[in-house]
Amino acid sequence: MDDASITALALRAREGDRAAAGEFVAATQHQVWRLLGHLADPGSAEELAQETYERALGSLRRYRGDAPARSWLLSIARRVAADHLRRRARRPVAPAEPAEDDHPLGRAPQPDPAESAAVRDALAALDADRREAFVLTQMIGLSYEDAAGVCGCPIGTIRSRVARARADLVVALGEPGAERAHRSG
Amino acid sequence: MNTGGNSDDPRGDQHGMASSSDCDTCREAVSAALDGEAGPEERARVDAHLAGCAACRAWQRDAEAVTRRARTGVVVGGPDLVARVVDAAPGPRVRWRGVTARAGLAAVGLAQAVLGLVGLVGATTAAATHAGHGSDPLMVLGAGMAHAAHESAAWNLALGVAFVAGALWTRHLAGLMPVLGAFIAVLAVLSGIDLVAGRVEPARVVSHLVVVAGFLLGLAVVRTVPRPGAGPSPGARWRSRPDDLPVAPDGPRATVPTPWERESDVA
Repeated sequence: MDDASITALALRAREGDRAAAGEFVAATQHQVWRLLGHLADPGSAEELAQETYERALGSLRRYRGDAPARSWLLSIARRVAADHLRRRARRPVAPAEPAEDDHPLGRAPQPDPAESAAVRDALAALDADRREAFVLTQMIGLSYEDAAGVCGCPIGTIRSRVARARADLVVALGEPGAERAHRSG
Repeated sequence: MNTGGNSDDPRGDQHGMASSSDCDTCREAVSAALDGEAGPEERARVDAHLAGCAACRAWQRDAEAVTRRARTGVVVGGPDLVARVVDAAPGPRVRWRGVTARAGLAAVGLAQAVLGLVGLVGATTAAATHAGHGSDPLMVLGAGMAHAAHESAAWNLALGVAFVAGALWTRHLAGLMPVLGAFIAVLAVLSGIDLVAGRVEPARVVSHLVVVAGFLLGLAVVRTVPRPGAGPSPGARWRSRPDDLPVAPDGPRATVPTPWERESDVA
């Protein structure tokens, strides 16, 4: 669903249209959950996604449609993740790491657990700002401009953070193809 | 950080043609180009650098590959939150209160307009029956009783229209409240004095309660309508092109707050 339709749903939801609110959540929840899994931790993503929507729907009356509703929502999710990390830093508890077979209800299992774990670890090891920029632009699919809006930083910052995240991932995931070519050649 | 000039990098620059800062600039542009965020001129510069830099060509392949792996290698799906969060959403409760108050305001407005019309007809017929007796015996500030009654009827009719209009176009209602409040306050004091002095029948004073009801319902509607002033102010709009820093350093923290954060409207 494109940004204009999502924004239209949010505006209808603001007027009290519950069906539109449901569609708004359905259209965006996967991205919100995914973003929170990367910004916070996968084990808390569901709970934090719920908190994001509680905040968003609670303050929807004050959303005026100036910005795309998806970016508005993701910026709330970003703040929920930041609050969560602050809470956790104050009161340190070991976060529950999701088990390898810990799949959301009713979904197909991951195609290759080892590959997924490698990518997840590499992403988790990134600098927080770089990870955020990379996830927003590559996994959520935002333009650099929208990602800059969500993060409240200039486009150039997103651009350089994405490039540095890529550089870090190249090192961490050590492209096997390239190395093989080098060793054999 | 992986730079092209690094000597222990297996894909290091063996030709020594490009400096590491050139490679850094190039790789940022390569990254932007992978996302379709590089302009044609920049892509041309990238191609020129890549033609002479094997390390950056390798990096481009690797960057493309890790991006693909990151996009495809993570979980698909997630929890379905629709039922949980929509049921908890506060919206409709407020909305129903607003709708009820607006309907009540419209009804009160109609009643007030009818009162005004009745008063108008009454004043006009009274004036007509007294017309034979010449000029009004009781002239106050240049108006006879008949004209004072006309004026009061016109006010009552106008208030009825204002209530109905306020129920329809709620954004104009807030401006009406100070006028109505002052009117009710003055009328309450004068009605009390007139009642004690026997200059008005209690039934007439009771009819003023319709205005009070309209005022209270108007307040209720104003409270439930989304305030046009709330939310981001015009100056805090979404920045469409924040390109003040074309190549910004990978700073520790964002410097510009998200527009909505200034409003602190997300508790």
